[in-house]
Order: sequence, then structure tokens, then C-alpha cells
Amino acid sequence: MRRAPIEAAAWLDSLLGNPGDPANPFSYARCAELDDVDAFPTEICARLDELGVARHYVPARHGGGLTDYETAMQVMRMVARRDITVAVAHGKTYLGGVSVWVGGDAEQAAGLAELIGSGVPVSWGLTERDHGSDLLHGDLVGTATPDGYRLTGEKWLINNATRGGAICVLARTSPAGGPRGFSLFLVDKTRLAAGTYRHLPKVLTHGIRGADISGIEFADAPIGTSALVGAPGTGAETVLKGLQLTRTLCAALSLGGADHALATATRFASERRLYGRRLVDLPAARHTLATAYTDHLMAEALAVVGTRAIHGLTDEMSVLSAAVKYLVPTRVEGLMVMLRKLMGARSLLRDEYEPGGLAKVERDHRIVSLFDGNTLVNLHALVNLFPTLVRAHQRGTSPAAGLAAVTTLTEPLPDWLPERQSLVSRRGSSLLLGLPAVAAEITALAADEPELAPLAALTGRFLTAVGDLHQRLAAVRSTPMDVPKSTFVLAGHLACCLAGAATLHLWLRNRAAFAADSADGVPETAALWRNGIWPQAVLSRVLGAMHDRTCRQTACYPAMFDALASQVSADCLPSLFDCRLAEGRRQPSWSMPC
Amino acid sequence: MVHAVLTADLESVFGDPFDHANPVGHDAVLAADERSEPLVAGEQALDAWQANAEFVPAELGGRLTTVDALVRRLRPVFRRDAALGLGYGVTSLMAALNVWSGGTDAQRKQLADTLLDGQRVCVAYHELAHGNDVTANEMRAVRRGMSLVLDGRKEVINNAGRADHAVVFARTDERAGGRSHSLLLVDLSELPADRWRRLPRYRTMGLRGCHLGGLEFHGCPAPESALVGDVGAGADIALRSFQVSRCVTAGLGVGVLDAALFTVLRFARGRRLYGRTVAQIPHARSTLAGAFTDLLIADSLSTVAARSIHLLPANGAVYAAATKYLVPLLLEQAMDELAVILGARFYLREGDQAIFGKHFRDLPALSIGHAGGVSCQLTMLPQLPQLARSLDRAAQAPTALFDDSAELPKLALDALRLRSGPTDPVLAGLPDLLTALRRADRTEDTAALAAELLAELAELRYDIAATTPHDLGVLAPPAALALTERYATLLAAAACLGTWRHRRRSGDTAWIRLALHRLLARSRPGVLVQPAELDEALFTELTERAAHGQDFCLDAGRVHRQLVD
Repeated sequence: MRRAPIEAAAWLDSLLGNPGDPANPFSYARCAELDDVDAFPTEICARLDELGVARHYVPARHGGGLTDYETAMQVMRMVARRDITVAVAHGKTYLGGVSVWVGGDAEQAAGLAELIGSGVPVSWGLTERDHGSDLLHGDLVGTATPDGYRLTGEKWLINNATRGGAICVLARTSPAGGPRGFSLFLVDKTRLAAGTYRHLPKVLTHGIRGADISGIEFADAPIGTSALVGAPGTGAETVLKGLQLTRTLCAALSLGGADHALATATRFASERRLYGRRLVDLPAARHTLATAYTDHLMAEALAVVGTRAIHGLTDEMSVLSAAVKYLVPTRVEGLMVMLRKLMGARSLLRDEYEPGGLAKVERDHRIVSLFDGNTLVNLHALVNLFPTLVRAHQRGTSPAAGLAAVTTLTEPLPDWLPERQSLVSRRGSSLLLGLPAVAAEITALAADEPELAPLAALTGRFLTAVGDLHQRLAAVRSTPMDVPKSTFVLAGHLACCLAGAATLHLWLRNRAAFAADSADGVPETAALWRNGIWPQAVLSRVLGAMHDRTCRQTACYPAMFDALASQVSADCLPSLFDCRLAEGRRQPSWSMPC
Repeated sequence: MVHAVLTADLESVFGDPFDHANPVGHDAVLAADERSEPLVAGEQALDAWQANAEFVPAELGGRLTTVDALVRRLRPVFRRDAALGLGYGVTSLMAALNVWSGGTDAQRKQLADTLLDGQRVCVAYHELAHGNDVTANEMRAVRRGMSLVLDGRKEVINNAGRADHAVVFARTDERAGGRSHSLLLVDLSELPADRWRRLPRYRTMGLRGCHLGGLEFHGCPAPESALVGDVGAGADIALRSFQVSRCVTAGLGVGVLDAALFTVLRFARGRRLYGRTVAQIPHARSTLAGAFTDLLIADSLSTVAARSIHLLPANGAVYAAATKYLVPLLLEQAMDELAVILGARFYLREGDQAIFGKHFRDLPALSIGHAGGVSCQLTMLPQLPQLARSLDRAAQAPTALFDDSAELPKLALDALRLRSGPTDPVLAGLPDLLTALRRADRTEDTAALAAELLAELAELRYDIAATTPHDLGVLAPPAALALTERYATLLAAAACLGTWRHRRRSGDTAWIRLALHRLLARSRPGVLVQPAELDEALFTELTERAAHGQDFCLDAGRVHRQLVD
């Protein structure tokens, strides 16, 4: 079954050539060299520009190529699977632009679209040295003048602050601050008077070492009224809505990192001999790989549903974006630890097995759970939604009409309309509200197809666990400033429930379409969809993460391992979907223009 | 003997890590790491302190008496810079242990003199193609006349590029099995220069200051006198040395978490978010308290394992493997949780928190570098049925195992056994220790903890009894391998309880209760709710220790570091 998002991703991947070929300018080898010396991937970013990747950062209504957020996510995943530094360095422009797409007017958006189209990187200036994720304590001030505003203050740890030609800055426009005390400005650096701003030096980082993580300081920098994004005082709201999109899209970085790590570790395990056998033939090693792959598919399912929900469940993104941004990076961090231990000393050696080694991927990927709202910020966002979710659950609210299109991959999606976004999802989560119906359908299916009995049983347990969790959420006292760790744990469980729900919806609505073999991949991918294999594996992990000790469902693991091993050996993406990668194509890599 | 006198403790030698002018302070440590070079000033300080004497038994003129004391004296190095600790010489100890246990008097004397002279010895076990499967190692030593002819290569060997002596693990018999390899102590400077070479340095992601290299031999003759122990005794000697070195590396790793925890606490007290300091946010307090507790668990288990080398040598194999398996996991997971508190600061290679990132990168390399987790699990697994069966009739461990004021018998490496048993004195003590805790602390929470831990012990015994011999080898299914994790977790619970009962401060139950909660949650997550007051108690102790210049280990020893106001 061909899918447009995957086809777009595979097309870009083929143009980027085989990352394992050291002669390819966008190879693992080249990226590791740049990483060694903290160097920005200038040529590679230029190549992405040439290939028009930035079109995915501009919505179609403003003249860009962004019609489907899942496509944007899958395309960036292909960049990230080669090098997260490049994905962060290039993809940042979407983050720089998102405030205008969400809160700007048409003229401003057209101007920004043109800027991005001409290859100018745009950055997003939110954080400050002394305040980190606490945006409402920001000190950078925007003072109104007769002609516009003057900006004074500093933004620090900003991706592309130096290289970006424009920066979208959150500034305090009301001395008292507060939720309505901040405004956003799209600042075109070329229009700033000399001496009114300066760049702060690049900061050396643990991973994504080549990225331009720096800062910018404004000193009475005059900017015109046209730089204001939306109405004065709407900065914080626009940022939060923008983050609903960017946090969801961040899944691309994690999925790409996991694609890379899984492929590396799986190849290593199939070549490595220990105790007279291939490592991959030791049951514990297979189990580790199958477990890591299960977590990867859990992340993928949530990311696919999450990005489609931007279109079809737009007003529920407060829930989904937080769940994606918490769960996907932390699951991938966990699977990278598993794979690192599987690979042993190899994983930490710069030049053995693969340039940079698994350790580079792991270091680079660590950025994902830190930026754009770190793990705690996202869990806290979920905690704040407990009352809404509990209310919807208790009332038995019906899921939104958009749920079917979001979860049915063959259905067309409506355009994303910024005005549909909402800071709080009043309905809670349609994925959760739709669970009882999904469970009933699966039970009914299992009556006819006995192979589905294990999945039906797991689904029943999951439904019970979701109900129990909502009871515990209902018992949480609202203490916005003093959330105890145990409440954060519940928020983590809630994110797991959303991943489990995304899994069940996705499998049920698409099993017929994907259970048939495809020419683009391997038969084992289709086998994942038959008999509910992958949802069983994911649900057992979800239940385990929610402390259900008795659930040690591993009967589906051999099929999971087979799918991973076949996908990797056929140079396909480790994925729910068939996607042939550049490693498996006989196309010459692009070469550098002289 | 000049070396027998310990002049000053290393903490004093190293001074305040936050002092920018300190040549062995954080700035210098980070700068050396950036250059992938050893911390030269640190190596000089260790030379002056005659650190190599720590690796030489007292009867040979050094300061090595007990494994426990060795770990405690060297921990300040790892608190400062794990690459310095490993790079300077812990691998010299790993090499030397083989000679202390298997060598002739002449070899022991020769090696003692070499070390006391300040020279390094590298330990050449590892071949990349075989990893922990040491008996598959290919490098050969073939007898020809009065010589042993060496062929093959050893890879990722610390100090191979700069040590003049090496202990080499080489195949002396083509047949498979435990008698196929032998150990040699070679003076590299005396080998014919055209028959061997040092391999280029490996670049690594952590421990960047270590000189990880290799050795390659081509028909290189070594004198027969280089043999350490009998021909074919290599694996036997090495596996007994591992028991000591596993305890040592695990125990030294605790120093890394100690330093990292201080860095995060210091940050949390200074950083303001949402109108208050991070240290005032409940989640951050719980995380810091949890990491502190994990450190105490890791210290308890590694201390008990180190002392068991002296007191219960017949159990060293399993106790050392359990320690080397669980302690790195505890340390790395604590580091992961602490990284969340630092937020974006965790990611920076500059500024006051950069040292955390270095510790974070070093720790996994330290754990993988010497006997990875699975090899420790495979050491434990086949021994579990016998140990589990014996629990009801096992004598309990002597109190000296836990009481650090009790003298330990002399280190006797030949008393160590490859198979542990016949009983398991530490785990056997778990029920009585839980009873003692319930007497000291009559809360419902403690009663529930004790009941859950006993239930877990019973269930573990049941699950071990249900295994078949097929389950216990390298083809072990995941569920069987998971038994070793559950075993190590309960062993750690017993080690913590014994430490609480016999070491000090028996009246204070907060740390032991939180330790047991955290251990129980590894095997049975979610069954009990941790009372919030335990976090608060541990957080208070953590900040008090930090304010009073005490470390976060069991000793609460003096450290030279300061909180900022």
C-alpha cells in the first residue's frame, strides 16, 4: 500500500543518496567529521535548499508545499536518520515561521514565505539565559514607539540565532508581563540598523555539535509595526499554539534517530559472532531488538496520528502535542540505551563499525527531549489537562467527527486551519473517547477471526487500565505550583494511554489496506498488520509502562523481530510502512558542485 | 617502607573543583577532555601521591590491604575525572591482580617494583571481534623452544600506547574450553621491536582522556618466564581477578554520581524558574532525593561486595557480578533523571554545569569498558538455582561484612572461586533484616515494604526453581536473564539493610525505606506508593551534607566543594 507521505520521504532519501557511502557528502562519515570539529553542515543544508526541502516549512496557502503535516514529518525523518544536526539546523526554519502561520496576517505570511523560499534561515527566539522554559519571565523588552517598537534584551540558546536571516522574537510588551504581556515580532535582520543588535557566540554542546546554538542581543533596535505578529499581547498564546505544531513535528527527529540506531544495531547483531553463534541468534539479543522496535513503532503510530490530527483534530492538539513531545523522545532515548548495551564497546568507538558510532546518534538525539518544551514542561501540560480529560471521560463525550479521517490513512485530510486551534481541548481526547468503540469492534472481529483473540484480550485489559487511570487522574488535587512527582508519573501513563489508543485506532482502520504485500517492501511488514501483531506488541509495552506486571505478552515478538530484521536487511525503513531507502537503490550519490 | 604511609587523602590533594585556578579543577578537567588528552596535572598529582602503591599489596611494599579501602581512597579521582582514574591506572590494578594471584614470587616482586616506580601496566584481554566471549580470543602464544611466540592483536586496551609492561591473555591451546588460554606478563621494551607494534589510539565518545590503543604481535618471541601461572590457567586466574576488579570499578563509579549530584544540586539552588528556585520545586526535590538514595544503594552493594571478597570469598563470583551488573544501571539511571533537572544546561559543554555532561558521557564508557552487563548476567545465571535452593539453610553473613569499623581478613585471591556457594549468606539474611527494620520502624509503609520484598523473594525462588539447565546458558531466554536482574535487586536490598543495621545511624529509617522502595519499584513497579516525607528527609540530608562539605556516600566524608548562595 503506497502512502503519499512515505513516497515523498523516500523520494527525498533517494536524492540524498546512500548515507553509508563515505563519498556521499551527506554520509554518516561526513557528518561525523563535522561533528568532531563542531562545524555547521553548510554544504548539506545548501543541498537541502536545492532540493526544495524548505517548501515543507511554508503552508500551501502561502505558496509553499506544506499541505500535509505527516508528510513534513516523514520528510524530515529522512534527514534526521542521516544526521539529527542537519535536521535541527535546517528544520529550524519551520519553527521560526510557525508563529506567523498561526498568528500573522496574510501579507506578513506572504513576505515570510518569500524569504524562506529564497533560502533564508529563520530562527525562533524564545528562551533567555536566566529563564529557560519559563517564557513568561522573559526580560527582553519591546517598547512601543511612534513608528513601531524598540527591542532591548537578549535571547540565548537559540538555534540559528547567528546564521538565521530573520528571527521571530518573543518580547515583553507590557511591563507587568503576564499571559497578555508578551508579543511576537518577526525581525528581518537585514532591516535592522547597524549596531542595534549583535550575535552571541556559538555555545558548545553535548550533541548536534555542529548546530548554530547561539544567541542574539538587541540594544534599542527599532522595528516597524509590520514586524508585530498578530495583535499586541498575543505573543504567548501564539507561541503556545505554534508549539502544538512544532512539538508534534519534533517526532521526526526521534523517529529518524531511532531508524538509524535500529538499522545499525540490527546489522551489527546479524554480523557479530559470540559464543559460537551470531549475536542475533541469542534469544536475549533478539528480544532486545524486538523490544526496541516495538517502542519505535509505538512512537511512529503516535507520531502519525499526531501529525494527522493537526488537520483533523486541530482543537485537540494541546493534548496530543504534549503526549507526542513527551513520549516519543523518551521512548527513543530508552531504546537507544538498549541498543547501546547490545552493541557493547562498539557503540562508543568513533571509528569502529560506523563513523560516529551509535553514541553520536544518542548524543545528538538527546536534544529532542530538551528543546521546544522539555519533558517536564510537556508532562506538566498534560497535568493541567487532567480535569478536562476526566470530565470528558466521565460524561462519555463522543469522539469528534474528525477522528475517522485522522486514523484512516486512506482518507483525505482537511486543510489545517489555524483558527481551529485551541489552548485547551474542551473535548479531551477523541482517541481516548473512541476507545470503547474500538475495543468492541476488535472483540467482534475476534469472534470471527480466532487469531485476533490475543489482541482482543489485551485490548480489554488496556481499556480497564485506561479507566483506572482516569479514576486516579480524577483524584489528583489541583496544585499547579506544587505538582508532586507521583502526578508526573500519572501524566506519563496518560501519554502511554494515548499511544496505545493511537495504535489501536490505526491498526483497526488500516489493517485491511496494509495486510497485503507491497512491491516497495518486504512481506514481513504486511505480516505485522495481520493478526494484530504490532498492536499486541505495543499494547504489552504500554501496559508494562503503566505497571501492569502480569502482562508479559511476548508471543508476538518473533514476528516483530522478523519484520525488523527483514526491513533492515532489505534496506527498508524500520517502520509500520514499506519504504525503500537510498541504501537499497542503485543511484549515484549527488556530488558537490565545484 | 615509604609507600606504606598514606600522607594525605586525595580530596585534599585535588582541592576545590569549582576553583577556576585549580589545575585539577573542573575547568582543567573539561579542557583536557575537549583536547582528548589526559589531565596532566592530575597525573602528576597522582604520581606525587604515589597512587600506584594503592595497587600493590602491603607485603610487597604497597598500600593495598582491602578492596573496600582501595575503592574509598581512589574514589576522589573518579569524583573529579573518571578518565583520569581509569587512564592513570585502574587498569594497572586489573593487570596486576593476575600476577598477585597467579604469578611467581619473582614476578610479583618485579611487578611490584615496576608499579612502585610509577610505571603503567596495561591489561590486554580484549579483542574487538570477541568482546566478552574471552575464551574465543584468537591471539596466540605458541611454545617454541624456551620462548612463547606471540601472534595476533589486542584492541581497545587502555594505555597500550604508553605502558612498557603488559599482561596479555593469549590462546595456548587450540581446543575449546576453559583451559585454552594463558596469561603472560611481558616487558614490551624487551621484545624485538620489529615483531610487535602499538596500534593507533581509538577515538571514543566518553573517557576521551584515556589512551585506548592496542598491541599487535607478529611472530614475537617472549621468554617462557613471562607465563603467569600454569599454561591453560589464564581464564581461571582472570575470572578470579575479575571478581575484584568488578567490585572496584562499580565502587569507583559511585564517585562519578556523587560529583554529578552535587553539580545538579548546586544548579537547582541557584536557578530560578516560575518565581522560585528549582530546588523548591517538588519534582526536582524528589529527583535529587532519589538520586541520592540510588547512590547510597550503589555504595552499599559495592561495599558489601568488596568486603565479601575478604569475608565470603566463596561468594565473590556472584556478588561481584551482581554488583557490576546493577550498580552501573543505578548510576546511569540516576544520571538520566538528574539530566532532566538541568534542562538545556545539561546539553552545554561550557558553563558551570558542563562537568555534568562529561560525567554523563564517561559513565557508560566506564561500565561497558570492563565486563558488560550481559556477561555479568551470564556469570550469575547458572549459579542461581543452587543459591536459591540453599537459602533456608544458609548461615547469615557476618556483621563485619556490613560494619566498616570491623577489621577484614587479608586479601586472599586464591580463596576466590569461579562458582559461588554452596550458600548465599547475604540474601539469606534478607528476612531477618526486614524483621529488624519492622521493629525499628512500625509504620504501615514499612510493613508493606517488608511484605512485598518477601513476596518478591518467594516468587523469585519459585521462578528460579522452574528454570531448566537449557535456560541458564548463553541461549537463556529473556525471562531467565531477567531473573538475574531480580536477584541482583534483592541482593542490593539485603546489602542496604545490612548496612543500615550494622554500620551506623540505625535509628534513622528514611534512607533505608526509600532505598527499599526504589529497589522494589524495579521489580514490582507501582505496587506501593512512596511516602513523600521520605523524599523530603533525604533532600534535607542531601543539602545539609552539601552545606557542610560532606560527600553523598555512606561515609559522608570530607569533600572540598561549596554550594553557592
